[in-house]
Amino acid sequence: MTRNTEAAFILAGTVLGSVGVAMVQFANGVWLDSAVALTFISFVLSFGALHVAFRLWAPNANNLILPIATFLTAIGTIEVFRLDPDLAALQRWWLVFAGVAGGAVIWSLRSSGVAVLRRYRYLFLAAAMVLLLLPLLPGSWPIHGALVNGSRLWVRIDLPFVVRVLSFQPGEVAKVLLTIFLASYLSDRSEAMSTVSRTVGPFRIPEPRHLGPVIAAAGIAFVVLVYQRDLGASLLLFGLFIGMLYVATGRGFYLGMGLVLVTAAGVTAFLMFSHVQVRIEAWINPFADYAGAGYQTAQGLFAMGSGSLTGSGLGLGRPDLIPAAATDFVFAAVGEELGLAGSIAVIVGYGFLVAVGFGIALRSRDRFRKYLAAGLTILLGLQTFLIIAGIVRLFPITGITLPFMSYGGSSLLASFFIAALLGRISHEERT
Amino acid sequence: MNAPLRKMAWAILIGFAVLILATTWIQAVAGPGYRDDPRNPRLVAWRVGRERGAITTADAVVTARSDPNPLDPQTFARVYPALDRYAHTVGYVSVLFGSRGLERVREDDLVSHRDSTISGILNALLGGDPRPRGLRLTIDDQLQQAAVEALEGQLGSIIAIDPATGAVLASVSTPGFDPNLLVGPGAGPAGVALEDDPTQPLLHRTIATTYPPGSSFKVITTAAALETGVAGPATEFPDPVELELPGTSATIHNYDDDVCTDGDMVTLAEAFVRSCNTTFAALGMEVGSQALAATAEAFGFNQEIPYDLPVLTSAFPEPSEVAEDPPATAQNALGQRDVRATPMQMALVAAAVANEGNTMVPFVVGDVFTHDGKIESATEPEIWRRAVSPATAAVLTDLMEQTVISGTGRNAAVPGVRVAGKTGTAQVTGAAPDVWFIGFAPVDPEPGERQIAIAVVLEDGGPAGETASGGSIAAPIAADLFGVYLK
Repeated sequence: MTRNTEAAFILAGTVLGSVGVAMVQFANGVWLDSAVALTFISFVLSFGALHVAFRLWAPNANNLILPIATFLTAIGTIEVFRLDPDLAALQRWWLVFAGVAGGAVIWSLRSSGVAVLRRYRYLFLAAAMVLLLLPLLPGSWPIHGALVNGSRLWVRIDLPFVVRVLSFQPGEVAKVLLTIFLASYLSDRSEAMSTVSRTVGPFRIPEPRHLGPVIAAAGIAFVVLVYQRDLGASLLLFGLFIGMLYVATGRGFYLGMGLVLVTAAGVTAFLMFSHVQVRIEAWINPFADYAGAGYQTAQGLFAMGSGSLTGSGLGLGRPDLIPAAATDFVFAAVGEELGLAGSIAVIVGYGFLVAVGFGIALRSRDRFRKYLAAGLTILLGLQTFLIIAGIVRLFPITGITLPFMSYGGSSLLASFFIAALLGRISHEERT
Repeated sequence: MNAPLRKMAWAILIGFAVLILATTWIQAVAGPGYRDDPRNPRLVAWRVGRERGAITTADAVVTARSDPNPLDPQTFARVYPALDRYAHTVGYVSVLFGSRGLERVREDDLVSHRDSTISGILNALLGGDPRPRGLRLTIDDQLQQAAVEALEGQLGSIIAIDPATGAVLASVSTPGFDPNLLVGPGAGPAGVALEDDPTQPLLHRTIATTYPPGSSFKVITTAAALETGVAGPATEFPDPVELELPGTSATIHNYDDDVCTDGDMVTLAEAFVRSCNTTFAALGMEVGSQALAATAEAFGFNQEIPYDLPVLTSAFPEPSEVAEDPPATAQNALGQRDVRATPMQMALVAAAVANEGNTMVPFVVGDVFTHDGKIESATEPEIWRRAVSPATAAVLTDLMEQTVISGTGRNAAVPGVRVAGKTGTAQVTGAAPDVWFIGFAPVDPEPGERQIAIAVVLEDGGPAGETASGGSIAAPIAADLFGVYLK
């Protein structure tokens, strides 16, 4: 495949998204209007920006990343439009912004390569920490946190000259920054951390001083859980840390210890916080408290069940009956309108993307690039897994977004950063 | 250094494979269950806007119809022109509160099959009529109106049945509600107010709640005595002021705490007409729990009554539970203690006596008619079970007629009509009694003459409260309705 083929596939995904939007309009008795054209233009600008950036500054980049991302974004855009055309209008702006921002990342790495990121790891760590703590800012400040759906993970900026307040979830971008930090940190320390000098009983354990990062990871995840009430983000961060430690050291010990810690934290959280208990109960039996905690899960199941094998057709289902369908439950909306066929296509799409990401990591000769590619892929895969598993009841609902598909600017921005970085890393392996 | 990376990649991809399996399970295997779950709001949203057939009474009064929705011409709005008169039997379809009554159980007949599903298209191609069917009830609107007025302001229920066919002639549960409130704009607060109302207007008292039948149950106790040969109408019993129950300090009193007749001996016939508890407690113990239960079950207790709508099962204790407990048997024989009956059940008891001991399958949907008004299928009367022999039914009829002529049921008398009946005043701990009248008229109808069996029950003594009895409160309502139906 060449860059031209990539462009052709991006165009196909763009047409898919635009035709989908048109179909939703037909289903609602509306003849073509500007939304179809605007969808087309926003995709061309967004993925076009990334594609041009790849052509100019990462010409050897893997050319599967963007086609898959376009396909997933197209499906997501159609459903967001079907659920709320106003949200979709905002999403188009976010899409263009994220595409340009992704292109800017590639441009900024054009001469020095991703290796430059390695040097500034503590800057990224500090930035991630600040971003994670932003939602805790008091409400009287111009930039302040906001409690949405019981979780404190939003930041609002009150600008005197804009009527609409700007709000974003800094945690989304913080995850990417933390991945860069970890990749950098581990590429310096993994040798030391994987040497096993002590045995306690049957267990071979690393030097105690190397356990610091694991405990720090658990601590950060737990703080996020406690202060921001965000079960999903804390699990995701913790899974990312432990996953990268394992990849870097090859020591099952870290996985085991992570599992023990996450179980302990989970049990503690269950015992200490009523909102966690409610989530768990709604997971085990969503119909026990149908009108209350189990409502969203139950509505998701009704949507998926009603979609059956082939779905109701675009615009012909009722995914609008699911609470938070455009963000947390966009997968259930796809399941209803495109059926099992659509659901599986989406999961397979993510599967391809994850496989491509790990492929890039496996082929990386440089330790930092390898860990960075692995970390970004783990982040993408784990996030996708957690939210879909929540909808199909393999796991409690975590309230995180589906990369590329969910409505949300911060989420889209993070997804595009991941795509851009993976592209740049793959480019450097082939030059 | 790539080995752990490969394992991690496999772990996540296997996780995705598990997601595919779980999604397949939810959409393909468990999917139809979720899709058809009554709580799935899609079902109601889809159903409510479709055209549904009309539901009319036997005398062509429309109780439910579909009008084009003025807000959305592609959909229909359901209207209930009879307001609260048929609320429980006809029911409603509401986006917020689901569906009830015939609107729920006869959904398949009522909805239009004009749709673009594969079965809908196939049906249309094969020449099937996709237009909605209508239902014609067996209810007589005049009788229904009279029954609604009779229970105005009370908690209670009236059900009238044609004994020869089982057709339901009137079915009222009060307080009622206006189903239109649950379908239009503002349905939310109206429905919540109905659900929270302590008088339970949404409860279908005729079939979905049971009461102790009290003395109206003596019809069954007498039937058991007659069928087993333990006693006949002339059999004499002692006539004490109170009857001590063996092995306990409890005693049975008559309604007025006095003897039944003269304090000497009393015949079963006299005791029936005056509804003497002392006599029937003694008789019940003599007949025994086994025979009582068998007769009650022959009348339909402990059985699921086959009706168009689900009926709560009336209860008489299984013989094994009370075999060794004569005091319990004595109280059960009076329709108290553990005996509970729906108004539907007691109306079937009266109807069985009127119909020579045969209980017919009760029904309220007389026929299903097509969009052109042609009858597509009509309900054929059929015998549900044989309650008692014709001979026993004849003796019971005599006793019940005498009760209306000279006994506790005098207020049910209608000039020029032979009325048979039995009153009941069921003691309820901590509340005024539930008062009953069950009966039928006329006795021995001429061929072609109308006959009606009825059960009337008022909770908490109706308007008379503590001082109420079945004879004073329920019997006059029955007389009134016999008059309306028989003219």
